Amino acid sequence: MRIPRMPARPLQSKSEVILRNIVVVCLIAFFITFFFAPILIALIGSFHLWNPLKGQFVFNGLTNWKTAFQSSLFWRSMGNTVYYCVIAVVARVVIGMALASALFSRLTAGKSVFRTLYYLPTITPMIAVAFVWKFMFQPRFGLLNQVLGTQINWLFDSHYAMFAILLLTIWKDFGYAVVILLGGMYALPSDCYEAAEIDGASSWQRFSYITLPLLKPTTFFLIITSLIAYFQNYIPVMVLTEGGPGTITYVASYIIYDQAFVKYNFGYSSAISFILFVIIAVLTLVSFRANGMLEGRKHA
Amino acid sequence: MIRRRVYQGILMLLLAAGCVATTLPFLWMLSSSFKTNVEISALQQRFFPRTLSFQNYRDVFSKLNFLRYFMNSLFYAGALTLITVYTSSVSGFVLSKYRFKGREALFGAIMATMMVPGVVTMIPRYSIMQGLDLIDTYRSLLIPAVFTSFGIFLMRQSCKGIPDEMLEAARIDGANEFYVFHRIVFPMLRNAISSIAIFQFLWAWEDYLWPYLMIRSEDKQVLSVALNMFSGRYSTDYAGLFAATSITIVPVVVCYLVFQRRFIAGISSAAVKG
Repeated sequence: MRIPRMPARPLQSKSEVILRNIVVVCLIAFFITFFFAPILIALIGSFHLWNPLKGQFVFNGLTNWKTAFQSSLFWRSMGNTVYYCVIAVVARVVIGMALASALFSRLTAGKSVFRTLYYLPTITPMIAVAFVWKFMFQPRFGLLNQVLGTQINWLFDSHYAMFAILLLTIWKDFGYAVVILLGGMYALPSDCYEAAEIDGASSWQRFSYITLPLLKPTTFFLIITSLIAYFQNYIPVMVLTEGGPGTITYVASYIIYDQAFVKYNFGYSSAISFILFVIIAVLTLVSFRANGMLEGRKHA
Repeated sequence: MIRRRVYQGILMLLLAAGCVATTLPFLWMLSSSFKTNVEISALQQRFFPRTLSFQNYRDVFSKLNFLRYFMNSLFYAGALTLITVYTSSVSGFVLSKYRFKGREALFGAIMATMMVPGVVTMIPRYSIMQGLDLIDTYRSLLIPAVFTSFGIFLMRQSCKGIPDEMLEAARIDGANEFYVFHRIVFPMLRNAISSIAIFQFLWAWEDYLWPYLMIRSEDKQVLSVALNMFSGRYSTDYAGLFAATSITIVPVVVCYLVFQRRFIAGISSAAVKG
């Protein structure tokens, strides 16, 4: 986005120079200290044997990186991360789209009540909610088995553990998708719908030929922000399963957390965090380009 | 007409199912927080407690000092919210209304930090805080969050909407820039301020890893980290944990229900502008 050129003001007052200098200096100092320097330190640290408890900071070349790429746990957790992200994003978008269109329909009463309640899990603290769900999954007296009438040991059965983590994630976040998509739907031009109705289009046709295509930019925004957030999501894993049973539910960001702050392998953890960083950076850049193409087509 | 009714019925049923799914865990948590440990793990389960017992809350407050953690969280989240609202507004103002060399580069660099995953900067920040000897102080929680790129972005957008003529008029009347920002611009940013305040407060309230790493003394600990106590030392105290999570969640839910319009407007505006 380009800022329209402001008329150049001839005189800069003394107070403007002072205020501007204070803010600019603070911003530069802050972002160097807490973003750019740390990124550099993490990169340098990834080539070191780095353990803060033992006071170790010894250069060890590519060892951390090699260890990561040769570790089956690393590859498993990368695979799990992709699996987790894809399922969580697809579920979020599909459920969000379904409920948003249901709320968008003129047949629906009490729209704002529904919207308010759907958004409720999103605003609550993840860590607290994860603890509540840990007990929802409790096999003997947890709510889930009681409601479903099942006897599944959700968190300790390797078939269900990842599903349980996904369930918590989807439950926590679908409301955000509903609010974003519904906001997008209200912003669509109403004359399209009027014209379609005059032409006798069914509600399914209106959805698939008008709503869905016009909502592409909003959906796209939702998918990308969700992907980036889910790549870094470790709290559900940490609280519910700690990567278990065995190593079934390890995800990349949980390895980073585990290696850094449980095992104090700062160097190894930095190497993995950098791999994650590169993946997220690539995703972001690709999304900006793709978004630009979408926008371009809209104007063409 | 009948088809329409059926269709409407299915629609409402679907929406109602969604509501049950979102609210049931909260209701279960709340009702369990009034049960005893024996009743929670009983073979015969009831949704509502047999007798309404406040014992769990009394225990959590008296034995585990949860009032202290609650106040600590309130202080941390409140202080951080005030700080970031101010720093975001003033940065947004300078980055949108002043023209100077390198402005776009500076803003671009700030925006680029948004895509840096928290885990990458976490380890070096930990070392920096250790080096500055700030571990176990609230300064270690507040200083790394003084500026937020999200807040600066939102405020810069809002400041752009303020007409230059208005600021110019004040300047001609002899106001200096500090007056212009604090007395004219800042009050006009009301909507953006409430959006940022809401998000910042919620983020700080649920912040887990950073306080967990920084705060060592128990009397300085925040609520979200204190919840961990139940999965360690008090591993079987389900009742206590239900009370503790209720204390963490319920105030947020109440605030949300009171200010829900602002919440929804806040996220929608952030999404559309993003």
